[in-house]
Amino acid sequence: MKGWLPFAGIGLLAALAGIALWLAGRQATPPAPPPGPVEASAAAIQSARFADADGNARMLGQFAGKVLVVNFWATWCTPCREEMPGFVKLQSQWQGRGVQFVGIAQDDPAKVAAFGRELGINYPLWHGEAEVMDLSRRLGNRLGVLPHTVLLDPEGRVIDTRIGKFDEATLDSRLSAITGK
Amino acid sequence: MQARSRVPHLHRMNPLLAFLAASLAGAALAAPADEPLDPNVAFRPSATLVYARSTVGGGSERHGIDIEYRIAPGYYLYRNRLRFQVSPATLPVGDPELPPGLEVDDPFVGKSPIFRESVTIHLPFAASVVQPGRYVIKIVAQGCAEDRLCYSPFPQEAALTIPAGYRTSGAPPKALPPPGSPPR
Repeated sequence: MKGWLPFAGIGLLAALAGIALWLAGRQATPPAPPPGPVEASAAAIQSARFADADGNARMLGQFAGKVLVVNFWATWCTPCREEMPGFVKLQSQWQGRGVQFVGIAQDDPAKVAAFGRELGINYPLWHGEAEVMDLSRRLGNRLGVLPHTVLLDPEGRVIDTRIGKFDEATLDSRLSAITGK
Repeated sequence: MQARSRVPHLHRMNPLLAFLAASLAGAALAAPADEPLDPNVAFRPSATLVYARSTVGGGSERHGIDIEYRIAPGYYLYRNRLRFQVSPATLPVGDPELPPGLEVDDPFVGKSPIFRESVTIHLPFAASVVQPGRYVIKIVAQGCAEDRLCYSPFPQEAALTIPAGYRTSGAPPKALPPPGSPPR
């Protein structure tokens, strides 16, 4: 009796579909894990203080009125460095359309500056101590991983947050959707 | 006359089971990539009290704490970014003895040794300074999930107990576990 044939056929199809999805998934960027809850107010985000390459105090509030792409990173973090050339391109494309990128690192200021020069980073690279990851965690980075990228609206409210690498094309699409441009 | 299957195990297999097995295999393969692990799951340290007596050089003794890391597949630890501190500080330990690790060439930071799968780091101490009690090894570590993301410096702890009677010289007391045994 061949009664088992339909079951085996369906099972085989399911297995093949699974394999196809697995292969497709291997070629794409791994899905970003879900971020945790945002626990920082817009005022707290805008008033958090960091230092620029010259040691001057900086706050995200200085970019109020713009859509901000805030990227938490570190020079020793390879995935962070891999996504940054894409940010450089996007900063060039979007700088006249009300979008500003900012990189913030809990790292050695000299290394941050050297990396910025070496890769021709065209947006501010700030640094700080524990307050860097404190803010990152309050913006949904519950595991304290890098890179972590947060999109803020012109009033400093969180629109989107991404744990892990932010694909250039995906970020470009998000900025189009957010700005309507 | 009906021919028997040339594949006896398939012939006997319950059709429903065959369907479920194939479907589960497909679903497992199609599952999304794992979310990043909590650093305390990806990098699991444990502490063991160790004692060894050399058979050469006059039978010198070696006392210390072994920190064994079990590292999840696809994750790695940075060798040169590990920091150790024993609390309370009544047990002064020497510089950590770390294996060389696997050297990876980073285009920006240069050659950087890492640990995958597992590693044991030895924290030596002099037997003459040992006081029995419970100690906590406070660790700061850094690591990454391959090609995906990295963990900013994260604190961890591993505890162990040095039993009463741990001798200040000579062979350990009989009550002491053999080298490599988990702490009691």
